[in-house]
Amino acid sequence: MLSADFVIATAVGYVGLLFVLAYFGDRRARTHKKSFLHSPAVYTLSISVYCTSWTFYGAVGNAARSGLEFLTIYLGPTLVFVGWWFLLRRLVRISHDQRITSVADLLSSRFGKSNRLAVLITCIAVIGIAPYIALQLKAVTSSIQAVAGASEFGRGSLTGIDDVGLAFGVAAGMALFTILFGTRHVDAKEQHHGVVAAIAFEAVVKLTALVAVGVFVVFVGGGFENIFAGAAEMGVMVDAQDTFDGRWLTTLGLSVAAIVCLPRQFQVTVVENSDENHLRVASWAFPAYMLLMSLFILPIAVFGLTKMPAGSNPDMFALTLPMAFGQDALALFAFIGGFSSATSMIILESIALSIMVSNHIVMPLILRLSPAGRGDGHGVTRLLLMARRFSIVLILSLGFFYFFFTRDSNALAPIGLISFTAIAQFFPSVIAALFWREASLKAATAAIAAGFVFWVWCSFLPSFESVSPQVAMLLHQGPWGISWLRPEAMFGLDNLDPLAHAAFWSILVNVMTLTLGSLLTSQSALERIQASVFVDVVKRGQVSRGNFVRGSATANDLFFVAERVLGDRRAAALFETEARDSGVEPDMLEPSPEFIGRLERELAGSIGAASAHVMLSKVLSGSDVSLEEMMQMADETQQVIEYSQQLEKTSAELRSTAQQLEDANAQLRELDSQKDEFLSQVSHEVRTPMTSIRSFSEILLDANDIDESQRQHFVGTIHQESLRLTKLLDEILDLSALERGERTWENVPVDAEAALDRALTVCEALLRQRGVEVERGERAPPTMVEGDADRLCQVFINLISNAVKYNESDAPVIRVTSSVKAGSYVADIADNGPGIAKSERKLIFEKFARGQRGAADQSGAGLGLAISRQIVTRMNGALDLVQGSLPGACFRVRLAVLK
Amino acid sequence: MADRRKLTGGMLLLTVLGGMLMLPPLVYVFNQPITHFGIPQIVFYLFAVWLLLIAGTALLARALPTDETDAGPGDGER
Repeated sequence: MLSADFVIATAVGYVGLLFVLAYFGDRRARTHKKSFLHSPAVYTLSISVYCTSWTFYGAVGNAARSGLEFLTIYLGPTLVFVGWWFLLRRLVRISHDQRITSVADLLSSRFGKSNRLAVLITCIAVIGIAPYIALQLKAVTSSIQAVAGASEFGRGSLTGIDDVGLAFGVAAGMALFTILFGTRHVDAKEQHHGVVAAIAFEAVVKLTALVAVGVFVVFVGGGFENIFAGAAEMGVMVDAQDTFDGRWLTTLGLSVAAIVCLPRQFQVTVVENSDENHLRVASWAFPAYMLLMSLFILPIAVFGLTKMPAGSNPDMFALTLPMAFGQDALALFAFIGGFSSATSMIILESIALSIMVSNHIVMPLILRLSPAGRGDGHGVTRLLLMARRFSIVLILSLGFFYFFFTRDSNALAPIGLISFTAIAQFFPSVIAALFWREASLKAATAAIAAGFVFWVWCSFLPSFESVSPQVAMLLHQGPWGISWLRPEAMFGLDNLDPLAHAAFWSILVNVMTLTLGSLLTSQSALERIQASVFVDVVKRGQVSRGNFVRGSATANDLFFVAERVLGDRRAAALFETEARDSGVEPDMLEPSPEFIGRLERELAGSIGAASAHVMLSKVLSGSDVSLEEMMQMADETQQVIEYSQQLEKTSAELRSTAQQLEDANAQLRELDSQKDEFLSQVSHEVRTPMTSIRSFSEILLDANDIDESQRQHFVGTIHQESLRLTKLLDEILDLSALERGERTWENVPVDAEAALDRALTVCEALLRQRGVEVERGERAPPTMVEGDADRLCQVFINLISNAVKYNESDAPVIRVTSSVKAGSYVADIADNGPGIAKSERKLIFEKFARGQRGAADQSGAGLGLAISRQIVTRMNGALDLVQGSLPGACFRVRLAVLK
Repeated sequence: MADRRKLTGGMLLLTVLGGMLMLPPLVYVFNQPITHFGIPQIVFYLFAVWLLLIAGTALLARALPTDETDAGPGDGER
């Protein structure tokens, strides 16, 4: 049978083991840079500090009380790690580049290295984590009490000590242990390899313990099936009907925020990360760890509900079940497992918080109180360590006081969720810091503060309901009787679960303030620089290493500052390395902007970004001015770039305009030459008949002795020539009107065959006169096309008369065929004349072009084909010269058939 | 080696899908009063989704080419 004294002694011994482990882990990590302590496995195990006694004890209790809800606490972080590429990777990379030491440092660095924001976040974290620490104290206390209560040896040395005394003892022990553990030295990167080693060991212990209890329960219960079946008989059901409501969503969301923003999680996941690629393993291994942890929780809870007497605390089932079955060794192991999960959380959380307190609150105060240039020679390191020790005591005290005031509440999990809600207030700002360039300092500060106020009112305050009648009254009636301000029913929203209610209002106010505020306020110069450094962190190949202050400080001044913070040896080493790299004597070292930037990051690793920035700014006189200068320079450069871009754009526009003008000019020239050609052609065509008219009329005027028949002949010639002239002018007018699109007609359905027949009839006299034989080939049935009947007829007449006129054959033949092919009406008019020489084929459709051979005796002006082609084109058809069935030319009219 | 963009696309899909599978209304589909081997179906379902996410992430993280480790341990101090 276990006794309380024995259990306590075991716990102390276990802590001693951890200490030894941490000590050697630290030494090993220092000497072996590639030891297994830098491996992804240790990294993953250290992240599982997320599973605290809330998991070990609380999750079983939670499963017994509300079924599957406990799973959300592990499903949320699973999602974050599944999506590690998008969030965690950015966080780790930024933190490496900027030497980020905490979530407060992250946000302060992103929002213009503002110390005010860092102080706010630190205060909220310290207050918000108090319930979480209290939860661990409560779990350890309850577990010791559970052993003591069941022990047949009585309470041993615990006689006369109640929960509060025990919890105080645990808290004091933890504080001592954490101080010994975590504040032995100040590290440049705030990495604690020894602690991480101990935490990883504890992760293995708690997992093994819980799995051992689980396997035992399954074994004793006769398998999963029997456990659940037995429970069902007893009326214990895993109630899943009302599980997936607002509360499910809320706890899932809160755990997503918590795994990123909890100070200890940020510490192990981001700050202690020594290699970005470790995240690859952790991305699946940490969810797998949580799955193993959760695997047996439901069976333990259900089995406990069936076997344990009614009224026993379900939070302690993992411990009391083995005890009830007389398995002392297993019970002791379970106790150590629970103790492990509590200690690892307390140690890391208080280390992480103490770093925040010392870097963001104590350090700036020291800087403000002691002006630069007067150091005490011992370095700031000792002061920092003292500050951290006091913060650890403060943090554990707050946790203890919270425990003291709320010791009557029984369940573990709800206490943890209060802390989660507080920490979740950082989440919107963290996301905005990484992804939203416009997010501003003022908005982020206001958002976090507003969210915190709502958290205090809706979540923190109601947790004191059981100890304070005033709070209870406030909950029921609201302050001064204002019912819409009731903490659990703000604005009358009283049908939500209290947790969902608090989370909803605080996060809503937080996000609205952040987004609206960022849109309404503007950023400072430093904020803009940091915003682009943070948002573009994965885009750039080489991340810009922060901004460098420029000033008139000498290397001596800088060394003085570095010595104060980093201590003698590290400062000297830093400066010697720099001198060696730049190839000068250490005394002659000129501080380059890059060196100052590196120094700032180095200092930031010890005292936080904001403090380091302030410190160096003080040393480098007028550094703020030079930053402004730099910004101005950057602005000017930006302006010049924009101006030259504008110039380039304008000149490109000019180039394109010039090109267009050139094209237009070429077109005009072309048209002009065409016009000249046309005019000369026309005058030539007009001149010939005019000449003959003039000469004949002169003969008629001058000579009186012309006989009647001759006179008749002359007048006939004049008449004929003037007819020809008129015809020519008509054709020219017609063509130019067609070309300009002036002569329009309605395209109406007409029968193309009828037009062709009409043309043949009109030409019959001509055909007969020349003795031309007309071969009527295959003809299409009456076919309707779009067009104008008279115009179409004109085209056919022109083609037929051309075929007759240019035919010099002894036995002239023309063949007229038509058909409908592929939706087109095709009419061919072929002749057995000399055909058209290859060189002329392209020209015959031009104005005034006439076939060479017929030119001599032809009266036409050479406009017929040009006009015909225009007409057919306007009927949406085509007039082409094709290879015909007869040796001569063959013209083809193609028109679309009207459906 | 698969395309890096596609792999990160797969990661995003897996994350979003995982979130959807564990939230209403999709969980309602599996939240039926049915038991398999005495265990409620919804328990099986949630653990199966969980396992799927772990396996999927492990596969994707393995397939993703490693970038040059610019963040090695100990950047010159100590």
